[in-house]
Amino acid sequence: MSGLPPAWRKWCLPAAGLLLCLLALPAARLWLEASMTRHMLVQFPLLALAGFGLAASLRQRWVERMNRWNGHGITGLFAAALLLSILMIPRLLDLALVDGRIELAKFLALLVCGAAVQLSWQPAGLLVQGFFLGNVLPMTVVVGYLFESSPVRLCNAYLLGDQERLGQGLVWIAAAVALAWFARLVLVLMRRDMAADA
Amino acid sequence: MFRSALLSALLALAAYAGSAWLTHDFQVWTAEGARRLEVALQPIAAPALPMDGPGLRAQPLSQFLADGQSVTLVDFVYTRCQTVCLALGSVYQQMQATLQAAASQSGAPAQRVKLLSISFDGQHDTPQVLQAYAARLSADPGFWQFARLPDAKDTERLLADFQVVVVPDGRGDFEHNAALLVVDQHGRLVRIFDYAEQQLALDYARHLASQASP
Repeated sequence: MSGLPPAWRKWCLPAAGLLLCLLALPAARLWLEASMTRHMLVQFPLLALAGFGLAASLRQRWVERMNRWNGHGITGLFAAALLLSILMIPRLLDLALVDGRIELAKFLALLVCGAAVQLSWQPAGLLVQGFFLGNVLPMTVVVGYLFESSPVRLCNAYLLGDQERLGQGLVWIAAAVALAWFARLVLVLMRRDMAADA
Repeated sequence: MFRSALLSALLALAAYAGSAWLTHDFQVWTAEGARRLEVALQPIAAPALPMDGPGLRAQPLSQFLADGQSVTLVDFVYTRCQTVCLALGSVYQQMQATLQAAASQSGAPAQRVKLLSISFDGQHDTPQVLQAYAARLSADPGFWQFARLPDAKDTERLLADFQVVVVPDGRGDFEHNAALLVVDQHGRLVRIFDYAEQQLALDYARHLASQASP
């Protein structure tokens, strides 16, 4: 994923910065956070994307310095998994709406998540990637299933129908990511086999 | 690789500390759970905001609740409600019946628990509207009273203090974290019960009332 062409790379910083500024606008926050589904399925990924873009624009020197603490991308992906599991606690969604400090921490956590994935995905290789996804995706499915099947509202600020929609969305996204990664895995292994045969 | 392992271990510790804080040591996962736990640990004083209602003289809410004798079971309603509030209405009707029965058996003691429904739709729910609503639910004013805060800002303040979150559901109704709030003789919110736990809430309130003045 860090294999972006240099011509694109110079646009990463302004694009990610612009995205972050837009997301931080009070009107955008209000609109995105008015619905539980938009809060978690639109705002969360966009913030992570901004973090991803910011990390992609880092200078090589800095990346190398950080890599010493991020062997095989393990630290980065581990950090992303930990942050994602905390971000899925329903109380956090309610708190982020009423407490500015929690909202700020949530923004930072998602930026770090995106950045960590950008910095770690390529060095991680298939094994570590598979371990990371093998933990995060089932967790997402369990949380999604809980949201979808809970007869009570888990967030005071959101409606039950919204929560069900979000739950379904989480399950579908987890399934889609798993399929996409598996397809890539098969492709990579086939290429390897072909190279070995040739 | 050693450095990565060390940093990962530190991150795991930080994440543990963060989630332990967020979930009150892994006891609650929702804001509602946290609210109920926090109230039980640290009671919240009812704010001194002006209220009125059918048969009630205008007085601050805190003064009405802190009469030094009776424990109050408070709930939040709005009279236009067609869904949850009707369920809450029947819970209150059953509790009223229990209190009436206890009072007719033994005289005064049951009077020390009173029921209060506060409307968060004060602009619409004037004392006249509340009067009609009370009649519809056959509320006995000796046990069950209705109130509103005339000023919308005061209502917001009360909801914020008691952490009641009201969300419009887009069909003209409101969704809110409906519950039974136990307020003690000193006007402090001491415990929050789910309204499926009506018996527990009532027993707890009567226990509190009997403890203070035997």
